[in-house]
Amino acid sequence: MSTRPSFHSLPIPHGRSAALLALIPALSGLVPALASLPPAQAKEVRVYSGRHYSSDAALFQQFTKATGIQVRLLESNDSTIIERLRNEGQNSSADVLVLVDAAKLANAAADGMFQPVGSAALMRDVPLDLRDPKGRWFGLTRRVRAFAVNPAVVNPASLKTYADLAKPALKGKVCLRNRNNVYNQSLVADQMILRGDRAAATWIKGMVANLAQPVFTSDVALARAVAQGRCGVGLVNSYYVARMLSGQSGAADKALAAKIRIVYPNPAHINVSGAGVTRYAKNKPEAIQLIEFLTSPTAGEGFAKGSFEYPLKGYGNNPILQRFGSFKPDRLSAAQLGAQNKAAVALMATNGWK
Amino acid sequence: MRLPPPPNPTATVQPRAARHNQGRLSLLAAVVVISLLSLLPLIALGWDALRGPSQEGLGLGIDGADQIRGTLLLVLGEGLLGASLGTATGWLCAVCRFPGRRLLRIAQLLPMAFPAYLQAASLIDWGSQRGLLIHGPLWAIALLTLANYSYVFLLSTESFSVSGRRLLEASRSLGVGPWRSFWRVALPIAMPSIGAGIALSAMEVVNELGAVRLLGVPSLSAGILDRWQVEGDPRGAALLSMIALAIVAVLVAAERQLRQRSRRWNLGGGTGQEAIWLLTGWRALLAILITALPPLLALAIPTLWILSGWQGIGPEAAADLVPLALRTLGLAFAATGVTVAAALLLAIVRRWSPQPLVRQLSFVAGLGYAIPGSVLALGLLILGGPLLLSPLLLLLWGYGDRFMAVSKQGMDAAFERIPPSIDEAATSLGCSWQGVLRRVHLPLMRGPLVVGSLLVFVDVVKELPITLSLRPFDFDTLAVRVFQYASDERVGAAMAPSLLIMVFGLVAASALIPSLEAGTQQKS
Repeated sequence: MSTRPSFHSLPIPHGRSAALLALIPALSGLVPALASLPPAQAKEVRVYSGRHYSSDAALFQQFTKATGIQVRLLESNDSTIIERLRNEGQNSSADVLVLVDAAKLANAAADGMFQPVGSAALMRDVPLDLRDPKGRWFGLTRRVRAFAVNPAVVNPASLKTYADLAKPALKGKVCLRNRNNVYNQSLVADQMILRGDRAAATWIKGMVANLAQPVFTSDVALARAVAQGRCGVGLVNSYYVARMLSGQSGAADKALAAKIRIVYPNPAHINVSGAGVTRYAKNKPEAIQLIEFLTSPTAGEGFAKGSFEYPLKGYGNNPILQRFGSFKPDRLSAAQLGAQNKAAVALMATNGWK
Repeated sequence: MRLPPPPNPTATVQPRAARHNQGRLSLLAAVVVISLLSLLPLIALGWDALRGPSQEGLGLGIDGADQIRGTLLLVLGEGLLGASLGTATGWLCAVCRFPGRRLLRIAQLLPMAFPAYLQAASLIDWGSQRGLLIHGPLWAIALLTLANYSYVFLLSTESFSVSGRRLLEASRSLGVGPWRSFWRVALPIAMPSIGAGIALSAMEVVNELGAVRLLGVPSLSAGILDRWQVEGDPRGAALLSMIALAIVAVLVAAERQLRQRSRRWNLGGGTGQEAIWLLTGWRALLAILITALPPLLALAIPTLWILSGWQGIGPEAAADLVPLALRTLGLAFAATGVTVAAALLLAIVRRWSPQPLVRQLSFVAGLGYAIPGSVLALGLLILGGPLLLSPLLLLLWGYGDRFMAVSKQGMDAAFERIPPSIDEAATSLGCSWQGVLRRVHLPLMRGPLVVGSLLVFVDVVKELPITLSLRPFDFDTLAVRVFQYASDERVGAAMAPSLLIMVFGLVAASALIPSLEAGTQQKS
C-alpha cells in the first residue's frame, strides 16, 4: 500500500483546525494542574454555598486575613448542593453548608446534613427565632417578602396584609413570580400555618385570578413591570428593589425603581439565609470560627450590606433600607416552614400558581 | 458487511486471522465499556427512583400533561422551522451563487456561538426594561431554532456540496431545473445528514432547560427536575424521564429509517468550483435575506442587551476572567478529546461488526444527549459519592456521556458515505484494522472529525448544569459565573463572562470554516 488514493474531493481541513486538534492532548494536561490551585494550606475551611453575591467573597477574604484560615468555596444552587452532600456522605470534604431559605435549612437539618454546634458567640449573636433550636444551623441575613407597589395604579394604603392581594378590586393588577421560587413557597407555607390550608387555598386562587400577566421568572423583571405600570402590585424581596435604587444595575433601573413604593405587610414574612457545620466536617473548629465571624455584628452587617439584605438584628445603616422603614416579623420558625414546604408547593400547584 | 479473510503475505509468528479476531474482541470490549459508562448514571437514577419515597402513586402529576405537550410543541415547532431553515441555507450556500455567498456561508455558524439560555435571558432582560413581554412557546421556538438550526445547516451543506454534486451537475445537464433537482436529487441524497441534524437539534430541544424555563414554557426537562427536587418525588421524575427518553427514541428511530432508505455510498466529488445555479434579481435578494437574517438576529440580541445594560457591568466584571477562561478552555479541550475518541471507537465498531448488539449498544451510548444535563448530573452524583471519584473525573465522565451523540452522529453519517468496498480492498491488501483506520478512514473522516470535535467543544464551553453540580472547590467556569450573576438577577454583571463564552463559540465556529470551504472549493 505505497500509493494513497486521492481523496481530494473530501472536506479535509487545513492548517488551523488541524493544529487545533493537535492542541487537545496538549491542553488536557492543563485541567489537573488547574484543579490543584490554589495550593493547599495548613488551615482551611471548605464551604458549599447556595448564596451568589460578590460581596460574600470579599467577606471570606476578610476572614482569611483575620484568621489565616483559607476559605475554599463551591457555589451552586441549593438543591444541587444538598444532593451532592447527601451522596458524598462521609466522604464529603465540605465543612460548612450555606443555604438561602428557611425551609431548605430546616429540611437539611432534618435530613441530618448538619451537626449541632455549641458556641456562646453564636447563641449571643444570632436571635433565637433565626437559628435552629438544636444549634445545627444559624441565620446569616434576613430578607422580607414585600409588596412592590406602583402608587399610580394601586393605593399603597390599601395593602395591609398578604391576604389583600386576593381582593377582587386588584383584578388585572397583581404580578407574581413562578411557583418554583423558594421565596414564594415559604410565603405560602407561612400563610398556611398562620391562616389554615383552606384560607390559603382561597387566597392563592384569588391572587391567580388577579394576575396582570403570566408569572415572572425573576424578581427584577417583576419590579420593572410594576414601575412601568403594567402591574399595580407584586411580591418581591425588598433587596432587589434596593439594589436597583442604588444604581448598581444602571441608571435606567434606578429611574424605574424610584417609581416603586415598598410596603411591608403587617406582620411580615421573614426568610433567612443561614449556615451550619456539616455532619462529616473535617475542619470543625475552623468551620465554627467562620460561622461565628459571619454572624458577628461587624461582619454580619457587611454580609447584609453588599446584598441589601437585612442583618440579623435591626435594620442596618444603609440609607436605602432605612427609607423602606420598619417591619414586624410574624416569627414563625424555620422548622415550621420546612415541614410545610411540600404541602405548600402542592397547594400552589392545585390552585393554579404556575 | 463481512470482511473477507485477509491473505497472509508475510509469515508472522501469530497467524493474522487470530490477531484480527483479537483486535475485534478488544474493540468490542471497548464498546461495551463505553456503553456501560454512558448507561451507569441512568441506571443509578432509576435505582434511586425506585428506592425513593413513593408519592401518591405513579402518575403524571398536575403538570405532567402540560409538560409533555410543551416539549412536543417545542420539538415539532423547532424541528420544522430548524429543518427548513437549515436545509434552505445549506442548499443556497452550497450550490447557488449570489452576492456575498462566501461571507454568508461562514455567518451561518455564528448563531451556534450563542447559547439559547443567554439569548433568552438577555432578550427577556432587554424587553422588561422596555415593557415588552418576552414569554411563551412562540418565543421559545424562535430562539431554539436560532440556536440550533446550524446543526442542520452544517450537515446538509456538506452533503449538498460533496456527495450530491456530480449528480446535480448531471441533472442540470439533462435540463432539470433547480427546484426539481433539489426535490428529486439533492434532498434524497442529503437526507441522512439532514436527518442527523434534525435529530441532534431535537434532542437539544428536549433537554433544554434554561431558556425554556425563563420563557415560562412547561417542559419535560423542567418537570423532571421539579418533580425530583421541589416536590421530592423521584419516582414521578423517573416516569417523566422515561417519557422524554421515549420521545428521543422515536426521533432517533425515524432518523435511522430515513437514513436506511436513502443509503448511498459516494466518494466522487464534482469537478468544478463554480456554484451550479446563478441567482440574480429578486431571487438573489431572497437568498441573501434567508441566509443573512438568522445570523443577524443572533448577533442583534446580545448587542441590544449590551447597549441597554452596559451600565450595570460594575467593577467586579473583569475579576477572575483569565482563570475562568483558562479553566473553561482546559475542561473543553479535555472533554473534547475524551468524547471524540470514544465516539470514533463506537463508530468504527459499528461499521465493522455486523452484530445487532453492537448497534444497540452504540445507540444506548448516545442517549446521554437526550437527558437534561441537570438530571444526568444527579445520576453522576449518586455514583460519584460512593465511588470516591475525583470531581474532575466525574465532570469529564458527565461531558462525555452528554455530548457523545454530538460527535457520533456526524461520524456515523460520514462512515456511511465511505463504501465498504474500500475497507474490503484495504484488508485484502493485508491492512489490519488499525491500518485501515489510520490510512483510509481517518484521512477520509477528517472533515466530520473536526466538525464533531468543534461541536463538542462549543457545547462544553456553554454547558452549565453538569459543571455546576460536579465541579471541585474554587473551580468556577465562565458559564458558572454567568449563572451566579444571573441567579442573583444581576444580568449586567453577567455580561463580561457571557461575552467571553460567545467569543469562544465564535472562534470555534470560525475554525469550522476551512472544512466548509473544503466542501465547495475542491482542488481537482
